[in-house]
Amino acid sequence: MNERLWAALSEVQDPEMPVNLVDLGLIYGIDEHEGLVEVDLTFTAMGCPASDFILEDVRERLLREEGVREVRIKVVWDPPWTTARMTEAGRDALETWGLAV
Amino acid sequence: MGTQAEFDQMIKSGELIESRREMTPEYLRELKHTLIVSGDTELISAPAYYLAAKRAPSINAFMTGIAIIQDELAHAHIAYHILEELGEDQEKLIFSRDPKSFRYPYAFDVPLDSWTELVVANGMYDQAGFCLLGDIHEKCSYGPWKRGLNKVMAEENFHLRNGRTWMKRISAAGGSAKDELQRAVDWMFPLSVEWFGLPDDLKMHSTQLEYRLKGLTNDQLRQWWLSTVVPYCEQIGIKVPAHKETRDGKDVWELDYPFPCEFDAENKRWDFKQPITWDDVLVRWRARGPRNAEMVAMFQEEFHKFRKTHHNGES
Repeated sequence: MNERLWAALSEVQDPEMPVNLVDLGLIYGIDEHEGLVEVDLTFTAMGCPASDFILEDVRERLLREEGVREVRIKVVWDPPWTTARMTEAGRDALETWGLAV
Repeated sequence: MGTQAEFDQMIKSGELIESRREMTPEYLRELKHTLIVSGDTELISAPAYYLAAKRAPSINAFMTGIAIIQDELAHAHIAYHILEELGEDQEKLIFSRDPKSFRYPYAFDVPLDSWTELVVANGMYDQAGFCLLGDIHEKCSYGPWKRGLNKVMAEENFHLRNGRTWMKRISAAGGSAKDELQRAVDWMFPLSVEWFGLPDDLKMHSTQLEYRLKGLTNDQLRQWWLSTVVPYCEQIGIKVPAHKETRDGKDVWELDYPFPCEFDAENKRWDFKQPITWDDVLVRWRARGPRNAEMVAMFQEEFHKFRKTHHNGES
């Protein structure tokens, strides 16, 4: 189930950049228990202007997965996000877009 | 620079113009005019949006609004920066022009007074900007501008998303919130339709098209805008005065009101029973609307005040 949830979130694009949230390194953890999914996630900056959209997209995508009845999201700032948290695929996507990371 | 015929051939063959040396004086004039409209539009959207973003319903919403304003200022900067490379004085353009000589769509002169009106502007005005800039991005014959627009387009998408997400939310809330949204759409939809200018049958000649400064005609751009905005509004349960027809196997968007018609800017109300001519519209545009002077003063006054005190301090 957990693998399926990670795969689901890797389908959610960042609202500002052409990279998904998992490859961007924003998702810190996913825990599922009897249909209740708890997600720890962060943003690239505390003043992220897209934070509402990201929370909405994560919730909406997880609720589309079979067996998920509730989603609770915890926004965490420790450890702080840096570009080091991006996956290789995420780096490639942003470099193709013209952003060196 | 070669001959006019050589230059025309370059444009025709799809080659990109890269420097001032390659341009004819007429091309340079048209390019500058197009850039001024683009820069002025992005610049003036900042005070227009700011005056409404102050009324954001949450801190997150306020952050999004401010981020959009930051984007718009940066987009304005791209256009003015290119103008400077083409020999214009950026500082004079922004800080020393008479408010009435700014060349942005009339819609921004009508005050956005609430968060609801701001998000409708993001959904409709930014969509108009998206169509116009998207066309320039695809077709523009001036290389530096075409490339600069790559990033602009990506950021405009974010503004549209803010508009659409909030319009959907407000509509779903129903009651007086939805009524307020409908009222905003009622006055802002026709202003956005007007944004694209004279219909093609009245605009016989377009140097911008000839020089590939843009690729689509006013009516084509208007149709593109209608094809995105009308279905979205219908989908979220908001009424708009336009519908789709199929003509010769093609979808055509028709307006359900006389175009153009009378607009009362003070009361934000259209009189669909009062058709007017395009000459009347041009008179209204040239006179500018209620908020023109206030918005231009927002960035010009402090610039000159600071300059004056700074200069005095030095002497």
